[in-house]
Amino acid sequence: MATVAATDTVNIVINDVDLQVPKGELVVEAVKRLGHEIPIFCYHPRMKPVGMCRMCLVEVGFKQPDGSVRKMPKPQAGCTLPVSEGMVIYTDTEMVHRDRKGVLEFLLINHPLDCPVCDRGGECPLQNNTIFYGPSTSRYIDIKRHAPKAFPLSEYVTLDLERCIQCGRCVRFTEEISGDAQLAFRFRGAAMQPSTFKLTDFDSKFSGNVIEICPVGALTSSKYRFRARPWDLETSEGLCLECGNGCNVWLDHRAAKLVRVNGRTNEAINEEWTCDKGKFGHDYYNSSKRLTQPLRREGDRFVPVSWGEAYAEIAAHLGAKSAALVGSTVSNEGLFCLQKLFKDGFGSENIDHRWTRTLPAAGERVAKRHESSIASLEHKKTVLVFGADLANSQPIVHLRVRKGWFLNETRVVVAHSQTTDADSFANLLLSCKPGSLDDLAMGLERAVAEAQKTDVQGFASFKDTEKTTSVKESALREVAAMLLEGNASIVCTASIYNENKPVETLAALAKIAAATGAEFNVYAEGGNDEGAMALGVMTGRNTHEILQDCAMGDLNALWLVGADPLTLHPSRRLAEDALEAVPFLVYQGLLECEAMGYASIVLPMEAPGEHDGTYTNIEGRVQRMQQAVKNPGDGKPAWRVFSELLVRIKPGRPSFSAKEIMDEIAATHPAFAEATYDKLEKEGTPLKPVIENFYM
Amino acid sequence: MKGQAQMYRDVVKPLLAGFGITAKRLGRKKVTIQYPEELREQYPRTRWRHFLTRYDSGLERCIGCSLCAGACPARCIYVEAAENTDQERYSPGERYAVRYEINMLRCIFCGYCQDACPTGAIVLRKDFELANYERSQFLFTKEMLLEEYPGQNLEPHKGKMQGTIALKN
Ligand code: SF4
Ligand code: SF4
Ligand code: SF4
Ligand code: FES
Repeated sequence: MATVAATDTVNIVINDVDLQVPKGELVVEAVKRLGHEIPIFCYHPRMKPVGMCRMCLVEVGFKQPDGSVRKMPKPQAGCTLPVSEGMVIYTDTEMVHRDRKGVLEFLLINHPLDCPVCDRGGECPLQNNTIFYGPSTSRYIDIKRHAPKAFPLSEYVTLDLERCIQCGRCVRFTEEISGDAQLAFRFRGAAMQPSTFKLTDFDSKFSGNVIEICPVGALTSSKYRFRARPWDLETSEGLCLECGNGCNVWLDHRAAKLVRVNGRTNEAINEEWTCDKGKFGHDYYNSSKRLTQPLRREGDRFVPVSWGEAYAEIAAHLGAKSAALVGSTVSNEGLFCLQKLFKDGFGSENIDHRWTRTLPAAGERVAKRHESSIASLEHKKTVLVFGADLANSQPIVHLRVRKGWFLNETRVVVAHSQTTDADSFANLLLSCKPGSLDDLAMGLERAVAEAQKTDVQGFASFKDTEKTTSVKESALREVAAMLLEGNASIVCTASIYNENKPVETLAALAKIAAATGAEFNVYAEGGNDEGAMALGVMTGRNTHEILQDCAMGDLNALWLVGADPLTLHPSRRLAEDALEAVPFLVYQGLLECEAMGYASIVLPMEAPGEHDGTYTNIEGRVQRMQQAVKNPGDGKPAWRVFSELLVRIKPGRPSFSAKEIMDEIAATHPAFAEATYDKLEKEGTPLKPVIENFYM
Repeated sequence: MKGQAQMYRDVVKPLLAGFGITAKRLGRKKVTIQYPEELREQYPRTRWRHFLTRYDSGLERCIGCSLCAGACPARCIYVEAAENTDQERYSPGERYAVRYEINMLRCIFCGYCQDACPTGAIVLRKDFELANYERSQFLFTKEMLLEEYPGQNLEPHKGKMQGTIALKN
């Protein structure tokens, strides 16, 4: 692998330069220290080397006692060869150049050379290596291998077998990184092809990554197919807000339209991966359903109005008896301005962003939602995933936990009533009956207490626990023992609030964590949910109360900020009643949706990549996303709408930029003190650990 | 007397010499032509207005690869590609250009696009009559650039391209 524990160093010579490198480091990595490059195809720093392509050939020799160098008779593959004492490596000799030419000529024998129509053309390692190291002509005159062009491996990934150089990166990715082992090589020799075993759909939550790591255009994105060439694209640093992980991505756009999302390296979060939700889930940017201008209801239809008219209408109808429900992709700035607008402008505190079945009151919430950073999860001795389906809700956390298991011998315990992707590598599976997670947590608490020989009065007996959860005493004791060995982390997500008795469950888990010294996490779910939690966007009445009060006529205005209660709220019934009954409804969003049908005023919102803003991910890392593309219509960022409206209601100085608001947030919220635009770091700045009384 | 000689040398003689040349030229063929009624044949390698050419089969050569757009120093080509289907086939292979635009106002007629094109689709030929009345008319679309039948681009230039540039009355 890329780095081997740097305990010992060895002396080596690379191209006549003496060097000390960690023992066991691979030659490909060692030469990077000198800024030299060895061309590669199959080697990937995050996967195990296999030496399949022979592109990385170098000459290697060893120093002899008399000072001379004795070269190995044949070139060596730099990606599989670890350095050792006295090794002498040449990357730039006549022989190496000849070897590289030979390898490339071989690889190109069966390659169709259809670069002009290939989506990889222009950013293709095979093109690049051929230009730098390859022969300018081919001596091959026979008929090339032919295969069907553009074979759809899945809805997202297209395989062009003719272009494949059989490097195995894609196969290894599904085996080593994503763990679904969906791809394998079928057949041998020239007929070898990466595909699913029974030619089923390539069904993976991370399939998009193989497109990026394929060193040729064999695996391409079905969605990006023929949409642009690399030199047509402009690219901007972006963030994915499909879930709360806060993955870093490149937003590639052409003629002001987003056409592709690629992973951007951030070692603290997503390394270089993305999940398929993030890579392929950004269709809404170019959707024909995008809202482009403010609308006002007149009878049973909407008529376009100016922002000014919309503001006047809203200002006339919203007051102390109004409320706001917020979705998960509003930036920290937007949330802050919304709070200010409601408090100072309308004199109402009723704002909530949560959509789970249980909405814990202030006293019932956990004190810290993220003790383990995402990156730290791979170094844990034990990870207990409790009641969470990480692969679905926190895909990148799932990858980290799996990486820990795959590389660092992390023991993973999965406790859930459903099957999850993590089951496949769990060292221990506590699969309980549906709705019994609370009993399971308390059973585990008892097991820990017994192991520590503390008082177990008041606990249900293991027998009873087994009856309610179907999990055996021995399993619970085993988990307790693992947790007690230290360096453990308990990972839950906010989805636990959709389960039975979540408050009791979490309380029990918190006690287990306290007793065993394990880190305890209840990761938020949506894009900026953690930001909303940290800013306290849950004041006054909670989501359920707001909807109930709307339905009962107790509230006379409701503002939906990028949220559709009909799809988000667990009870569609209640959501329908509320939207129907509330006299004045403002829907502010990206797309037309069902809830819009009930609205009195509709406001277009800018998508996250269309304006500046910061977002807080599940581990409390504040990251900034700058504008990448322009809004297709007359949309405004949420924060601007709120602050413009506030100025109308309560004359004062308006906010001009997101930066300014972030400064204000930093000044008023100690946790965000380090998160101003001036201080934000490249990899994002973690929130300062501040426990406000509020949460306890 | 001195005055007369001087007069003859400085005025009459050059005058006669000049008329002499005129008289001599009268017998030769005329080089001036009556443009626009008459047109001069352009040199073979003249680079003017582009054509998108077709194969003899009538299929378009352009595969929508954007290499021309990448090579263009004036950045005046815009290509949007799409996929051929068996029902709707525009070019051989998988890919064709659904949209192909050249902004003639920005084009410097360098011919790099022609050089870059892997299929010989875009070529600069001899139609130099590009003047027009509106800026928008200089955005040449695929329909305007595509030759109507294979080989049209190689025909000698016969005056303002038919149907490509709408003249305002
Ligand atoms: S499809 Fe790409 S990544 Fe997979 S083996 Fe072929 S060349 Fe390698
Ligand atoms: S002739 Fe030169 S400037 Fe004109 S379109 Fe072609 S490459 Fe661009
Ligand atoms: S004209 Fe030639 S270079 Fe330009 S897109 Fe078409 S095929 Fe490619
Ligand atoms: S990179 Fe070493 S063999 Fe492929």
